[in-house]
Amino acid sequence: MIVAADSPHPADTGWQRRDFLAGLALLGLAVGPAAAAVAASAPQDANIVRYQGLMRDVAQIVIPRTDTAGAGDVGAGAFVLLGLAHGLGGAHQPVTTSGLEGFSSADGRFDHARWLALELDRRAGGDFAHAGLPARQAAVAGLDRDAFADAPMAQPWRTIKNLVLTGYYTSEIGGSKELNYELVPGRWDPDVPVTPTTRAYSSDWTAIDFG
Amino acid sequence: MDFDAIVVGSGISGGWAAKELTQAGLKVLMIERGREIRHQQDYDTEMKAPWEMPFRGEGDTALYEREYPVQMLNRHFNEFTEGHFVNDAQNPYQTGDGTDFTWFRSYQLGGRSLTWGRQCYRWSDYDFGANARDGHGTDWPIRYADLAPWYDKVERFVGVSGANEGLKQLPDGQFQPPMALNVVEQHARAEIAKRWPERCLTVGRTANLTEAKTEEGRAPCQYRSICARGCSYGAYFSTQSSTLPAAMATGNLTVITDAVVEAVDFDPATQRARGVRYFDTKARVHKTASARLVFLNAGAFNSVHVLLNSATDAMPQGLANSSGVLGTHIMDHANTLSAAAIMPGFEGHTSFGNRPTGIVIPRYRNMDTLDGIGHTRGYSFQGGALQSTWTQGKRLAGTGTDYKNTLRKPGPWRMVLVTFADCVPRPTNRLTLDRSKTDANGLPQLKVDFAYGKEEHAALAQAKADAAEMLTAAGGHVIMGFDRPGAGGSSIHEMGGARMGRDPKTSVLNQWSQAHDVANLFVTDGAQMSSSASQNPSLTYMALTARAADAAVSMLREGKI
Repeated sequence: MIVAADSPHPADTGWQRRDFLAGLALLGLAVGPAAAAVAASAPQDANIVRYQGLMRDVAQIVIPRTDTAGAGDVGAGAFVLLGLAHGLGGAHQPVTTSGLEGFSSADGRFDHARWLALELDRRAGGDFAHAGLPARQAAVAGLDRDAFADAPMAQPWRTIKNLVLTGYYTSEIGGSKELNYELVPGRWDPDVPVTPTTRAYSSDWTAIDFG
Repeated sequence: MDFDAIVVGSGISGGWAAKELTQAGLKVLMIERGREIRHQQDYDTEMKAPWEMPFRGEGDTALYEREYPVQMLNRHFNEFTEGHFVNDAQNPYQTGDGTDFTWFRSYQLGGRSLTWGRQCYRWSDYDFGANARDGHGTDWPIRYADLAPWYDKVERFVGVSGANEGLKQLPDGQFQPPMALNVVEQHARAEIAKRWPERCLTVGRTANLTEAKTEEGRAPCQYRSICARGCSYGAYFSTQSSTLPAAMATGNLTVITDAVVEAVDFDPATQRARGVRYFDTKARVHKTASARLVFLNAGAFNSVHVLLNSATDAMPQGLANSSGVLGTHIMDHANTLSAAAIMPGFEGHTSFGNRPTGIVIPRYRNMDTLDGIGHTRGYSFQGGALQSTWTQGKRLAGTGTDYKNTLRKPGPWRMVLVTFADCVPRPTNRLTLDRSKTDANGLPQLKVDFAYGKEEHAALAQAKADAAEMLTAAGGHVIMGFDRPGAGGSSIHEMGGARMGRDPKTSVLNQWSQAHDVANLFVTDGAQMSSSASQNPSLTYMALTARAADAAVSMLREGKI
């Protein structure tokens, strides 16, 4: 197109937000067209339905409700499953750890959700989903402790935990109620005293990348 | 003639060419290969929060791995900014054996002016004299004094905030007030200066306004630091915020988008460029435009591509390539994370707002004394001190309420120093056309052959040691550091390929950025660079462009071209 110096700009035909897959919308995710293009064909989408209860529970145990909502409350469990299906947080990197063979899904990728369900059942001594909250908390805490001690499950658990964190702190409640969010700070103050009420900023983009 | 001048490309240097030429009264056509993006209207994600994005700002990794495998490696590439970068799958290029080169590109109106890092540093005579001193490459036909008034001009218009420090190696300029160092950086500046007076830690000189430029409709920086989404405040310099409105205001500019220039048309009878041939990517038709002057500002590598692809029977090696050096001596700063340190003692301090620049420690090696170990040029550090936020939780064991409460607070201070080392110009680092592989527009793909040599490796080794000792002197505990360069192109300072020089037998351009072989052809983007220095180069491209435009207009009026 040619835009002469004095000609009007053409109408904007750009990006417009809209909900996409009904199934995901039911899970409380408000998502847009970029995801719609690929979500429907993602091989692990079946897990988004099958493991939604488990992931909501695990997210809520990692980041529980305090004076603000927990991660399960705000849909971080559903975000974990979306992230796993789309390779966020290294979810599509091969898992070659000995002892974790057999968790490949049909597309050859590691099936984090199926692994987590079996791992937590094992740690809960049977049926994780129907164990009491203290037992479920203990199972998740034990898994986390072992993973950060570099046990074989470090990679898949840390992938899931990272997605829980992302799902929570990029939600409106996690990002702007639990933490501070300021899209337009309007000023740079290079030295502010820390007080008991000081909170981190979810809109500190440099800290997110490098902190 | 359709136009007085054609400017190929609308990025940082193309915008300047269009502004200067139209303000001189020339009727100018600017041709941009990518889509139109309108200031304040088309920055679609600028005001979005993560929770308003399908993938919360991180983006669809699976999609990126398929279609953006190079661009996704850019620090500024994310779900908010993906529309400001090329789709790699649709814009392929080739690399030679042993070449690891990431080519970051933004094909759109404004080019990489929308996504650039905005650091603005003058070069000094240590830089313009580098090739003559150590014998690498060919001598620049200009020195700092030739460019100083043009630096003044572009800094005033761009709006560069920064501190004058009186350094020979990083000349002072026409700056707006600097942004402040944070408490950790202030401490580090003082401690480093105490022990090494020649090492000056100062805030990054950045094309973000600290004072409004009301006459140009530009507001001061809002300290969001999400510049690459586009800034409706016009607070950082881009084509859209600055040069394009200035050029449009003359009534002399025509802009065509979605048009890939295939070649410069050359008239062997007159030895002049007649204009350009371009491909309208929407209508899928080939077109031409004619002009008395052609400015190539397609970005260093793509300007070389146009020249190589303009080969004719009269110039079989490519246009303006009687020397045979077209495409050779490409460079990119060798970069690495030289040191990262925990900075204890500042737990009672935090900051507010997102400063859109870091710090810089200009070169201090190989100036009047050759004190580099295994290398003869400079390196500088950029980086800064920052605190953690919730992402520190990815490294922390824990679950439950205590864990959540830990992440509620700003995390520990840390400081990083990233090195940018001068890249020696080498004939083996070069661009060629791979005519066996074409892109979606039927044009041959560019092939990049590139490797760093012993000089860059030696510089990064010394920089690693220097960085560690500086952060340690500032009270930090160094936790990591590297001395291996990132992939070529990862500094996004790719330059050279149509170098400036004194001798038409060994260079493509003369001291006016004018082709030795084709008097009405100017190349004023990164392709013209004869050496790389260790500073970010965009400000120098702008100054050289303004200078070349002035020279071209004079030559035109005097009937010389």
